[in-house]
Amino acid sequence: MTAQDVPLGPTVRAHVPLDPSIAPPGTRGFRDAGGIPADQWHADQNGETLVPTHCCFCGVQCGMYLRVDKGGKVFGVEPRNHDINRMRLCPKGINAYQQVNHPDRLTAPLMRRSRNEEFREVSWEEALDFTASEVRRIQQAYGNDAFGLLGGASLFSEKTYLVGKFARVALKTRHVDYNGRLCMVSAAGANKLAFGIDRAGNPFSDILLTDCLLIAGSNVGECFPVMTQYLWGARDRGAVLIVVDPRETAIARTADIHVALKPGTDSAFFNAVLHVVVRENLVDAAYLAANTTGWDEVRAKVAEYPPERSAEICGVPAAQIEQVARVFAGAGKSMAWHARGIEHHSQGVENCLSVINLCVATGNIGKPGAGYGTITGQGNGQGGREHGQKSDMLPGGRSIMNDEHRRQICEIWGIEESELPPAGTSMMEMVWQMQRGEIRGLIGVCNNPFVSLPNYRVVKEGYDATEFHAQFDFFLSETAANAHVVFPVTTWAEDEGVMANAEARVVKHNKAQEPPAGVRTDTWVMCQLAQRLGFGDKFAFAGSREVFEELRTASSGTVNDYYGITYERLEETGGIAWPCPDTEHPGTPRLFEDGKTYHPDGKIHLQVVEWHQPMDPYDDDFPMSLTTGRTVAHFLSGNQTRRLGALVEQTPRPWVEVHPSHGFQNGDPVRVVTRRGSAVFPALVTEAIRPDTFFVPYHWPSPTAANILTIDALDPRSKIPEYKVCACRIERADSIDEVPAPPVAPGHVAYPETQVSRTDTLPPTAPQGRATAEERR
Amino acid sequence: MMGKTIFIDPGRCIGCQACVSACRECDSHRGKSMIHLDYTDPGQSVASLPTVCMHCEDPIAPCAEVCPAEAILITADGVVQQADTTRCIGCANCVNACPFGVPKIDLEAKLQMKCNLCYDRTAYGLAPMCATVCPTGALFYGTLEELQAERPGVQVADSFAFGDVMVSTGVAMVVPADKVQWPVPGGLPVVEVNGVDVR
Amino acid sequence: MTRRATLVATAVSLLLILAIYFGSRMLRDFDSALIPYAVATVFLAFGVAYRYTVWVSAPGARRLFTKGWGSLFSAENFRKAPTALPKMIATYLGFQKFLGARSHARWAAHQLIFWGCILAAAITFPLTWGWFTFTSSTGSGPGYEMRIWGFKVLGYDSSSLIGWLMFHGLDVAAVLVIPGASYFLYRRMKDRGAMTGQRFAYDLVPLIALIVISVTGLLLTFSSIFLHGGGYEFLALLHMVSVVFTLIYIPFGKFFHIVQRPAAVGMQLFKYTARQKDEVFHCRRCNTPIDTAPYVENLEATMRDLKLDFAEWAEYCPRCKRELRGNAYLSHVKKGFK
Repeated sequence: MTAQDVPLGPTVRAHVPLDPSIAPPGTRGFRDAGGIPADQWHADQNGETLVPTHCCFCGVQCGMYLRVDKGGKVFGVEPRNHDINRMRLCPKGINAYQQVNHPDRLTAPLMRRSRNEEFREVSWEEALDFTASEVRRIQQAYGNDAFGLLGGASLFSEKTYLVGKFARVALKTRHVDYNGRLCMVSAAGANKLAFGIDRAGNPFSDILLTDCLLIAGSNVGECFPVMTQYLWGARDRGAVLIVVDPRETAIARTADIHVALKPGTDSAFFNAVLHVVVRENLVDAAYLAANTTGWDEVRAKVAEYPPERSAEICGVPAAQIEQVARVFAGAGKSMAWHARGIEHHSQGVENCLSVINLCVATGNIGKPGAGYGTITGQGNGQGGREHGQKSDMLPGGRSIMNDEHRRQICEIWGIEESELPPAGTSMMEMVWQMQRGEIRGLIGVCNNPFVSLPNYRVVKEGYDATEFHAQFDFFLSETAANAHVVFPVTTWAEDEGVMANAEARVVKHNKAQEPPAGVRTDTWVMCQLAQRLGFGDKFAFAGSREVFEELRTASSGTVNDYYGITYERLEETGGIAWPCPDTEHPGTPRLFEDGKTYHPDGKIHLQVVEWHQPMDPYDDDFPMSLTTGRTVAHFLSGNQTRRLGALVEQTPRPWVEVHPSHGFQNGDPVRVVTRRGSAVFPALVTEAIRPDTFFVPYHWPSPTAANILTIDALDPRSKIPEYKVCACRIERADSIDEVPAPPVAPGHVAYPETQVSRTDTLPPTAPQGRATAEERR
Repeated sequence: MMGKTIFIDPGRCIGCQACVSACRECDSHRGKSMIHLDYTDPGQSVASLPTVCMHCEDPIAPCAEVCPAEAILITADGVVQQADTTRCIGCANCVNACPFGVPKIDLEAKLQMKCNLCYDRTAYGLAPMCATVCPTGALFYGTLEELQAERPGVQVADSFAFGDVMVSTGVAMVVPADKVQWPVPGGLPVVEVNGVDVR
Repeated sequence: MTRRATLVATAVSLLLILAIYFGSRMLRDFDSALIPYAVATVFLAFGVAYRYTVWVSAPGARRLFTKGWGSLFSAENFRKAPTALPKMIATYLGFQKFLGARSHARWAAHQLIFWGCILAAAITFPLTWGWFTFTSSTGSGPGYEMRIWGFKVLGYDSSSLIGWLMFHGLDVAAVLVIPGASYFLYRRMKDRGAMTGQRFAYDLVPLIALIVISVTGLLLTFSSIFLHGGGYEFLALLHMVSVVFTLIYIPFGKFFHIVQRPAAVGMQLFKYTARQKDEVFHCRRCNTPIDTAPYVENLEATMRDLKLDFAEWAEYCPRCKRELRGNAYLSHVKKGFK
């Protein structure tokens, strides 16, 4: 007993309950929230079936079995020995199944005439008719382009294909884009420029063969946990691990070299690395001469980036830049993978290109254990950008600006070329157009821009300015809660379809249960709307299978060739990497093995990269950098994961990561201020972040949204927002902003058992969440 | 050390808590997670440590020894079971005697619960849920030979020092080659001559 | 230890024999048809006493045994919280609230078995020992009187409700036990949690025994009322065998929890006493409460008895133990991947 707890005198406490007694923290309570209270969980062996499928979340696309009971309901998960993940799953994947029969599910269309009204549940007929009439009214009054469509990259590829076709054929609008614009497009742009093909060059399994692995701007341990096994597998065999990240993440902690550079300085760093490679004559001159164009220009440019200059820009020692150059170029087989950390910038494409330049200059392309890849964030981040829901693209990775491509697609779709709209604008630009009244109506499918887009104030204004807004979702997202019509659609486990993972491997998701009464597939809803708009003949799809058949045909002969991929083959093989031009073709897991790219000349087109300052300037008021990112327990806008008890228990709320040098204590309320707004988070004081940088995870909505703070500056080529760096300052605050409950249909409350810890004001123990001994208060 | 057992390597752990969620899916205690995941270096780094029951062998599991109700049984293959539900009186002796900090207790139910090496799964030849899903191999289930086949040259230790006492366990931890002969420090603070804890 | 246990057990058995002898008024009220049952109870007494002595001789149990009974017989405790003990007995041993926290269905089923068995034991043990007698002044009813140790306690009419209940008490007990035990048996075949590590002799035999006893008991009534005693002798034999087996099994299997469970009251009372005085022990590192101070002291003494020479480690909470171990691993074994 400690001194201060000695009772004063022989007083007896007035009332001591008989029960319960005392137990130390972490030993009582089992974190049994689990989404479903423990006493309602049954492990009865009533006969269950295991449905093989994949996870709905990130771009790794781990295989899993869903456990289905005799009543046909999904009730659990069982690891599956799929060769992507070899039975491993992350906490999101394990809890994913709880979405399927979650009490927060939407089970009837919601509708209201104006945003001042409450939602009411209506019939499908009424909701579809109203939506179609609003589309017609807005398009007749303001033109076809006044109605926009925003898709998502967590949809099956069939549905992403349908989003693009629906926009161009049924809505006849140029304004279609998708949330992969917030995710993948910088890498896509760089890939297209350099290689003429937009996908990772090597499969995950090549990582196991490499001698040196460079991970740039990817918190693999938290965002792609299951991919970590490939990193560790490489290290078990002696590979060197280099991590470039402003934070000391779980993989950076044990890396051989951790480059903790300042956010927004990536291309300066990689240019300097290439500078050293050139200076020390570590380039693969023969490879460059045989397979590339533009090397002289690149070499001249990197000459302007000696390590000393970049060391100053990046805030890392010059010696470390030299070390990285020597290790990467001298290892033998080297490989670089990157993710949002270098892509979410106003120079995102340049950053990716500077990594490509390094790989190409050292000859590390298209070999087992040597190459380059980007790790897609969303489940279908790869497949979602291939088949025409992007503003400038048509199915099969075709360009909407290319006359030949336009003609081919019009032929497949059976429309006149004059009817096919021109290229549209990007997602963020569309929000600006909504603000200006250029886009008056919007349908959103599988996205939640109120949490995911930068500069929340602008986003809210844009959406509020629309005259009509419909949203498809299975939970009422923050964005859907602001709409006029919400269509309740299926989860991934209630429909079949394909997704392409970060390796561009197409995998098949299987239907595990019937959707709840009142819920329809996105495919059905789009087809119904098309029918009401007078294009039923172009949308006569019974389901995903029929859409996939059309998609296969539409992609035939293109770079993104799916023609040889069928549902049957996917089920037999466990996944096929495109391009796969015919049904005998084994797929293409590794690109450029023959040294040929997909440009007409077969060469790698190296691009000159010049670093510039981030778009949000630093000054005396905003001297520090704010960077945003993910935490392992949550996914993107959190509409799915913020409702799953186990994940809420693990990480109930956002925080701000602060270096101890700022004088804050753990849990202190800290106001993060940028030119766009401010929000108060509890401080997680840690030495694992640069002193000049703060980090806030972005999965939560306003008023605890990181995207209240971020800047809506875009990369001029990829139009990706600069999420990963903006100027900020921090202040001591009085109280911490509370996380709001996730929205639910009228008359419901967010499933209370899952929300117990949400109002906790403490930061997690570590960025990965609260230690299991941290109990709810 | 048992034949097939769990090997723990905190150096590979990314602290993602997949094991914590997976444990909850195990049919023998569905909805309740027995595994502990601690961030052992808070404020300095994101280092983490998963803790499953170490299934002590020598001395015979301290939890079973201190149990006043003879509720903790040990199977022939060395698995220290969780408390027998009919016997456990919820006194928490095991909770506080365990040198590894493993057992949990449900005070209302007067019942101790802890990791039992997924007896329901291992009996069918499956790996325990935590080691099955662990994305990094920080928790590995198999024999030492299987571990070494996957990770060439890896060494393990299955004895832990708590002060002067050595506890050897059924579950082992990965250690560098030069530390195989040592018992792994159990963390019990050494008390200096002046009586101040050295942590 | 075995010698002491044998001695204690022998003494208890002898006491029981004496109690039977005198309670049945020098065997005057003893029903010789029930001899096998009576002999079984003597064996039961021996077994329970033996097992109990062995049990409470182990360090963990011995210390808690002393503390528990100490708290129970403490006059000070009684003055301070006179209702604590009866409340605990009622909630833990009678209504078994803690089982409700495990599962509502299991609580309900256990309550059925519990009250059924209590009822059955309350009727059959005294009957077997010849402590109860039911006599009719008129020779064959309807007026009966119930006597304990020869003293009249109750007179009733066999056609009244009380009379019916007196006559059919064991049938009522069987009706309570059968659904309860059947539920547990069903659960043992369906629930993977229950099936994990399940052993036939330990987990299933007791349930089967209870069901066999109850069903044969009910069939005896059925036989005497509807079948005019058809099959009665066989059923009676089967019933007797199952009862005798169960009684002898009690000290060695799952049923021993009936004897052990009251220790929970002792333990709770011991902790409750300390909590009343605010004697809470806090973790030496993080200062969160671990348990009551006398409890931690008791545990450390137990650990020393057992030669677990890291007893002071109990003064740290489990979380700190893990954190300190993790930290020691980081600083002394390896910091990172290699």
